[in-house]
Amino acid sequence: MNVAAFLLLAAMLTAYVMLDGYDLGVGAIHLLIMRTDRERAASFTAINPFWNGNEVFLIATGAMLFAMFPRAYAAAFSGFYLPFIIVLWLLMVRGMSIELRGHFQSDLWRGFWDVAFCLSSALLAFILGVAIGNVVRGVPLDSAGYFQGTFGFLLNGYALAVGALALLALAMHGAAFLWMRVEEDLRPRMQRAARMLLPIVVLLFVGVSVATVSMHPVANGAAWIAPLVAIGALVSIWFARSGVIAIAGSSLFLFALMACVALTLFPDLLPAYPSGAGLTIYNSAPNAYSVGTAFTAAIIGFGAALVYGTVAALRMLRA
Amino acid sequence: MQGALIADRIQFAFTIMFHYLFPIGTMGLGPFIAFYTVKGIRTRDEQAIAIARFWAKIFTINFAIGVVTGIPMEFQFGTNWAAFSARSGSVVGQTLGMEGVYAFFLESIFLGVFLYGRQRVSRGFYAFSAVAVWFGSWLSGFFIVTTNAWMQHPVGYALAKDGTIELRSIGAVLLSPFAWWQYAHVMTGALLTGAFVVAGVGAYYLLARRQTAFGERLVRAGVIVGICASLIAVFPTGDRNSADVTRDQPVKLAAMEGLFKTTQGAPLAILGMPDTQHESLIDPLYVPDVLSFLAYGNFRANVKGLSSYPKDVRPPVELTYYAYHVMVGLGTIFVGIMALSVLLLWLRRLTRARWMLWALMLAMPFPYIANEAGWMVTEVGRQPWIVYGLMRTAQAPSPTVAGGETIFTTIGFAGMYFLLGVIFILLTLREIGLGPEHEEALAPAPGVA
Repeated sequence: MNVAAFLLLAAMLTAYVMLDGYDLGVGAIHLLIMRTDRERAASFTAINPFWNGNEVFLIATGAMLFAMFPRAYAAAFSGFYLPFIIVLWLLMVRGMSIELRGHFQSDLWRGFWDVAFCLSSALLAFILGVAIGNVVRGVPLDSAGYFQGTFGFLLNGYALAVGALALLALAMHGAAFLWMRVEEDLRPRMQRAARMLLPIVVLLFVGVSVATVSMHPVANGAAWIAPLVAIGALVSIWFARSGVIAIAGSSLFLFALMACVALTLFPDLLPAYPSGAGLTIYNSAPNAYSVGTAFTAAIIGFGAALVYGTVAALRMLRA
Repeated sequence: MQGALIADRIQFAFTIMFHYLFPIGTMGLGPFIAFYTVKGIRTRDEQAIAIARFWAKIFTINFAIGVVTGIPMEFQFGTNWAAFSARSGSVVGQTLGMEGVYAFFLESIFLGVFLYGRQRVSRGFYAFSAVAVWFGSWLSGFFIVTTNAWMQHPVGYALAKDGTIELRSIGAVLLSPFAWWQYAHVMTGALLTGAFVVAGVGAYYLLARRQTAFGERLVRAGVIVGICASLIAVFPTGDRNSADVTRDQPVKLAAMEGLFKTTQGAPLAILGMPDTQHESLIDPLYVPDVLSFLAYGNFRANVKGLSSYPKDVRPPVELTYYAYHVMVGLGTIFVGIMALSVLLLWLRRLTRARWMLWALMLAMPFPYIANEAGWMVTEVGRQPWIVYGLMRTAQAPSPTVAGGETIFTTIGFAGMYFLLGVIFILLTLREIGLGPEHEEALAPAPGVA
């Protein structure tokens, strides 16, 4: 059951990265790629009906981690105290920028929120990457299973590289999403952006993978499939002729990337750095009934959301 | 860790009180939006549709700020209250997780349909989405209240050897007898606020002599819902909620009522200022024997006073006492305002009684104060416990987060929330200024939707 709970959490976080990832990516490249007011408005039109629902995955993942593995939730959230609070502030600024930009017809008003949207999105993508990097690398857990994550510790070379990978991979994902969503005349520009980012993403991915494997030797031979799929997905973006193919390719890449993270971590949730016993899916879970209840509730909830979400989306698109 | 404890409590109190202003708005306006949408669709009443869409805009502003201020609430359990989360996450995480997967998806997906789908979906599905948004907001409230009710009166758990609280029955937590009246009372409070806002905005239109057709409709609806909600807030929901407190948390009752000495035939203090040093009320105004009757249904019943409890289980008396008296005092005034308005409505004089319309318009902020005060009674009165009888608040903060860090982030939240508050007022006033007529002008010809 704990393994199933781990898989569910990994799936939820992956869904978050794939879904909110594209609207974060749209934000990260917003100022660079969209030049006129009309083009910039198109960024917001593209993500407006979806971004809030996408962000629910982050909240739901956090809440499910809380229910299933309370000790890991408590240690991670209190240990990454300041970075997590900064994430909250950035989420607020970003939420405001998306909701508010269209309310007034003023260049100053819109220009301000354009900058806020771009910076908060880029920083969020980067910080989430740094956080994942530090989780994979491990944190200095004390005997009670807590740690204090100072910036001096968290901003290490490995985590910064993962942060850069996250930022650029999501920027590429966002470009692919816009390629699919925007009007004909803007599409070639999105394609160029995605292809420009691609080689850097490949280099960073290979570099980070090598560094990860040298830290955590991978025991299971089958685990090599995940990075191979990731490379395959990246190659497919290079040859993509339409936005739909490109977004499918970059989604598959993010899926494989998150699979790499999950495979490296399992069965740890928060490994100890530089060595020692980490918080695992076994020692940070309460009784089996509790984990089972949270798992069942999540499966039913997602099943229902999938059904009515699909019904709603189909009815919205039927026009 | 004393400094950290105070800083954590101030931050939680500040962020939750600010956050809660917005869910009151969504839970209070949700039923009105659903009602006007369904009515408008069924009877092809374009004016009702315009009213629903007007309130939906204000709902959306509330929803957006409710979401961005709600995420910090959930984060804070982990960031500031890690010891509490690690020990009780088995229970508290369940209900919060359910809110995420059941209520948030429902609310955000159908709000998307309601806002962007009017021209795209069938009339029936459009009406359904309005009802689903209402349902989602009340479902979200249900999970939050069951979480809180468990912290007030823990059920369905067992203690592990290391002291961890383990969930044993999710059914017992969700169907906790403490939760049901608390939920009913909280939702009534939100509906009451919605009614006052609807009536108050309607009164503004009538007083300003603009959009008067809408104004009359809004005042009528607000006043009719308002009298029902203000009566239900007193009885049965308020009364039954107090009965639960009397049974499970008698020391909180003593603090609420400012009763220091155990008394047979205890009087009800209408006014008075608690003096905790001398354990008495200063300048009290008493109604004899009534507290005994309200608590136990018997004028001669014995009510235990604060002094019969050890000092280390007593809540802070002043805050609990004043918050309770503010809530009850305002609740009584609400019944009066709404009863008078309904009388005038019945006599067909309400729209011409400008003094009453002024009262309705100026009354708008007060239900918010009453709701917040009610939660202060609940939360401050629960102290010194974070989980009643099981875990003290002093044991709950994160072991690795210093008070100085929390003070820093509290300052950050204060700045951010000031900005959010200004933007909320700006946008809401702008929508009220445009009004439902603006919506009606935008409405498509009948039959298109």
